[in-house]
Amino acid sequence: MRKRLLVMVFALCFLLVSSVAFAQVANPDWWKKAAEPYKGVVIHGVSESTPPSKALRDVAIPQFEELTGIKVEFEVTSWDEMYNKEIQDMQAGTGIYDFVYIEQDAFASYLEQGWLSELNSLAENAELTYPDFDLPDFTSFIDSFKDKEGNLYGIPFEAFLKTYIYRTDLFNDPEIQAAFQEKYGYALAVPTTWEQYTDIAKFFTEYGKEKGIELYGHVAQAKTHPCLAYELCETIWPTWGVYNWGINLENMRTSVENGGTLNSDTAKEALRWYVDMLQYAPPGVRTYTWDEAAATFGTGIIAQGFLYMENLGFLANDPNRSVVIGKIGVDLPPTKPGVMEAAEADEGYIGYYDGGALGIPKAAKNKEAAWLFMQWCTRKEWQPEFAKLATTVVRQSAFKDPAIAELNEKMGGYYTVMQEKGHLFAGCPPLPMQTPLNELYLQWISKAVAGEISPEECLDNLAKEADKLMEDLGY
Amino acid sequence: MRANKAQVWGLISPTLILMILIGVVPVIYVIYLSVFRYSVFSRTGMIYIGFDNYRNLMFDSSFWSSLSLGLSFVFFCCIIELPLGLLIANLLTYEFKGKGVFRTIMALPLAMAPVSIGSMWVLLTNPDIGPLPYFLGKIGVNYNIGVNATQAFATTIFMDVWHWTPFVILTFMAGLASLPKDPYEASLVDGANRWQTFRYITLPLLRPVILTTLFIRLMDTFRIFDEVWMLTSGGPGTATRFVSIHLVREALRSMNYGYSSAMSLFLLYLTIVICWLLLTFISASQEES
Repeated sequence: MRKRLLVMVFALCFLLVSSVAFAQVANPDWWKKAAEPYKGVVIHGVSESTPPSKALRDVAIPQFEELTGIKVEFEVTSWDEMYNKEIQDMQAGTGIYDFVYIEQDAFASYLEQGWLSELNSLAENAELTYPDFDLPDFTSFIDSFKDKEGNLYGIPFEAFLKTYIYRTDLFNDPEIQAAFQEKYGYALAVPTTWEQYTDIAKFFTEYGKEKGIELYGHVAQAKTHPCLAYELCETIWPTWGVYNWGINLENMRTSVENGGTLNSDTAKEALRWYVDMLQYAPPGVRTYTWDEAAATFGTGIIAQGFLYMENLGFLANDPNRSVVIGKIGVDLPPTKPGVMEAAEADEGYIGYYDGGALGIPKAAKNKEAAWLFMQWCTRKEWQPEFAKLATTVVRQSAFKDPAIAELNEKMGGYYTVMQEKGHLFAGCPPLPMQTPLNELYLQWISKAVAGEISPEECLDNLAKEADKLMEDLGY
Repeated sequence: MRANKAQVWGLISPTLILMILIGVVPVIYVIYLSVFRYSVFSRTGMIYIGFDNYRNLMFDSSFWSSLSLGLSFVFFCCIIELPLGLLIANLLTYEFKGKGVFRTIMALPLAMAPVSIGSMWVLLTNPDIGPLPYFLGKIGVNYNIGVNATQAFATTIFMDVWHWTPFVILTFMAGLASLPKDPYEASLVDGANRWQTFRYITLPLLRPVILTTLFIRLMDTFRIFDEVWMLTSGGPGTATRFVSIHLVREALRSMNYGYSSAMSLFLLYLTIVICWLLLTFISASQEES
């Protein structure tokens, strides 16, 4: 009798634990049935060490493995290591990876090289595609992973903006507001012009010094690292009206004499401004990549700046890594005159809509199992939890979820900006050669940031060499 | 006899095949790539361009600048590490309290992976939270390796000295322990002082060991990558873009395989020449002693 009771209690506990573990799985039986032929299969994937990838590794994968019996070996590694690994695998066609991370920037390169499997045929297979997978429910970001004919090559699992972030507690402090008003003659508010941004940066850095507190009005990712070139191309230049990395996409040339804008007066002015502004950032700013920039904001010493919003997850929720929980505001970046109007008319953009998708290399050995896993990571019911863990939202239906509305408040209105103003931002232009191009940009821009050469000399030389590179690569 | 020969070939062939596969074949492939214009991201695929990559290399100012930086790094590291190592190794021939503990602590950096060393120095030198900038600031030194090129370069040297001087010490200690006792006894009878003993007996006898250690350190510092990559990634600007970092950026970031193959072969040639020179010196000094 006692033994039977114990068995009953155990069974009840198991049922309870299972139901909690798969609470967000709407139709577990379908997953089990679809995965039946692939039970015991090991699929391999690689991704960048970003909050969304970590959430997949730590939460989504264990659940998927338990439910389907498919084992997932997921390497979450550094950004450059990820590129090296997946590109070498796809280029050699070794088939080590069954799914890879496709950063939006790199999609054009992968497509041009023919490294990816087209996914439409898998999506049309009823036995392998979850009934409620609902491709039209994805935000327009999914279009970034289609070719000209509309064929799909990647399922987005992370999407975020790089936009303006600021400290609401500082901006709303009456004493600070009065001091700012007195000094600059206008009210302290979210800047809409670069002149205002500069004033605010200067004000907070000086305010920190006066009060003897560690506070800076600006942050940047200015290390000699690819992130430096990305910051200029994605965030700074577009808001000054220099789009597409300064490249004329019709003839793929960058210099002014060849129709580009990379060494235009505006681009030079923006770069000079960027270098000058580093004086208002923490002393270590030239050692910051995207990670350090976000982490420093979390320490509470930055009043405003530009961050990849994938970091909002920890900035707004994790007390171990952030002292600015409940003090964050998110808004559109400041722009030069005419840029916002151009973005609204779809003739330009004001910043970067970044993210990545999961795709299947052509040489992958377990495409079907990988396809099931990719659906698992992007299914509807997982979106709110995924957003909480990693900020990312890739489905329109997710914006309507009460959990996201609650998160939106914590994240300073980020999801509102993303949903309502996301169209003003853009991903990387289709540049199949963007990796070597970024390296070249970095080589020259880092010299300007280090003060080895002037911004003007930097961009004149860069434009010349970028044109040569394009020519050498057959563009 | 013939059967013996076959047996010998049979026994060494697995090693030989393995060496050819992992040593010779990649070099041949690199030689092959070096005569092509070949980038992964090229639309044109591989184009045969003869020796153009080598010709371009000769006129590539960024390559020469990184090579000269790399050689400066080698020079400064060796010129500090060898005398310092010799001095400490000599001091360790004397008995003193805590010698064992000192020797153990001193050897610890050798047990650490270069990547860990780089990460540790990132934290030590971090301009916002690092102890080095903090304490140097207390004595009026504005230390910031993100801004100051000279400080960044000096820090990479200091990091290498910290990491590898223990190796030099251990090598010299082994060398000192193996020296014959007779010349020392004779010098004692002749009334030589410590300096004279060191200058006229220890140094000449230790010459092969010194040259061998120099040879190893020279090759190691010329190829340095992990620590500097972690600490500065070649920055600020191009202040620490040593030739190894330049090569990796060209090969793995730009994926310019043709040009970077030519660069690798040139560096291999340079290394072989330096090795040959040093080996000649070592052989000559061994014959002398």
